[in-house]
Amino acid sequence: MHTFVDSSDGDLARAVTARGAPRTGEAESELYRRFAPRIRLYGLRYLRNEDAALDLVQQVMLVTIEKLRRGAVRDVDQIASFVLGVSRTMVKDQKRLEWRREKLRETFMLPDTVAAPAGDAALDVDRLEQCLARLADRERIVVLLTFYAERTAGDVAKELGIKEGNVRVIRHRAVERLRMCMTSGEAAQS
Amino acid sequence: MTTCQDPIADGTLLDYWARDLADDDEVNRVEEHLFVCGDCSARLHAMASLGAGLSTLVRQGRVAGIVSRALLNRMQRDGLHVRLYTLTPGETVPCSVFPGDDLVVAALRADFSAVQSVSLSVRGPGDSPFSRIDNLPVSRPDGELFWAMPAAAARQMPSMRLELTLASADAVRAELGKYVLEHTASTPPA
Repeated sequence: MHTFVDSSDGDLARAVTARGAPRTGEAESELYRRFAPRIRLYGLRYLRNEDAALDLVQQVMLVTIEKLRRGAVRDVDQIASFVLGVSRTMVKDQKRLEWRREKLRETFMLPDTVAAPAGDAALDVDRLEQCLARLADRERIVVLLTFYAERTAGDVAKELGIKEGNVRVIRHRAVERLRMCMTSGEAAQS
Repeated sequence: MTTCQDPIADGTLLDYWARDLADDDEVNRVEEHLFVCGDCSARLHAMASLGAGLSTLVRQGRVAGIVSRALLNRMQRDGLHVRLYTLTPGETVPCSVFPGDDLVVAALRADFSAVQSVSLSVRGPGDSPFSRIDNLPVSRPDGELFWAMPAAAARQMPSMRLELTLASADAVRAELGKYVLEHTASTPPA
């Protein structure tokens, strides 16, 4: 039996466009399953906020599926580019909104709330803590400045008094070591 | 779904996530690929999850070792309660951990003007080794070195005297300062 899981992005988009055809809902579900994680990542990359990224997924998929249903997507074979384009537009809008919120926060000193991203709840942070402790101090500072403090390699280089190229090398090595440690069970054995 | 024939290099994915790609064309090229490629998107997701896990650890105050000024600033901005003890060479400072503290940090002041990198040795009762950090680059000649310990770990410590020795790790080893933390165990809540 044919399933949409093996279909190309273009075929999926075509199936959604063909209103009234059997199994349109199935095609929409597969389209969502395929693109939602990519939109979420895109949202996290630009908005650095899990809730905002999940909102973006809903909005982008809503627009995409509505446009496909109405036959308003010109080239369904380029559906990935279409989804990316919608994501870009919506992120710009959200950033403008966030900028206004930030201004309000600065003016009225509203307390900031901090929450762990729900989408990454499956990660074993106890194990990650052990893996992080195994890194050299310089590696640990570099990854924390990158991922937590959201500093670019140039910023980190200035902060630590080393070359930007070195920061990239240290960062790459540290991430690789963390990844290996998390998957090999090295930390769990110690 | 097919395996990616032209995967984005790990270093490029990392640079993309850290906003370190050289130009917009490169960013666009990566994003176009990520939206059509489930494999590379999944690799980026794994990397992003690792980053989110690191942020979670920091927000829970689960960071030990040397941290930077930028990292501390960001933690305080995020609402972490950082108990900071500043020590100059030869100084003895009483310290403890209080309810609500997330992180305890010793800021060690020294003249770093003639050194490239330093080592820090921390010794406990009976000259027992407590912690050791080697060959850490220093960036500012008039700076401080921040040694951090999770408040949760400090709460478990009995009252004790910790002796910290900071030395240059360059070809000619020179002592930069000795410091003492007189730790008083925190009183368990009644």
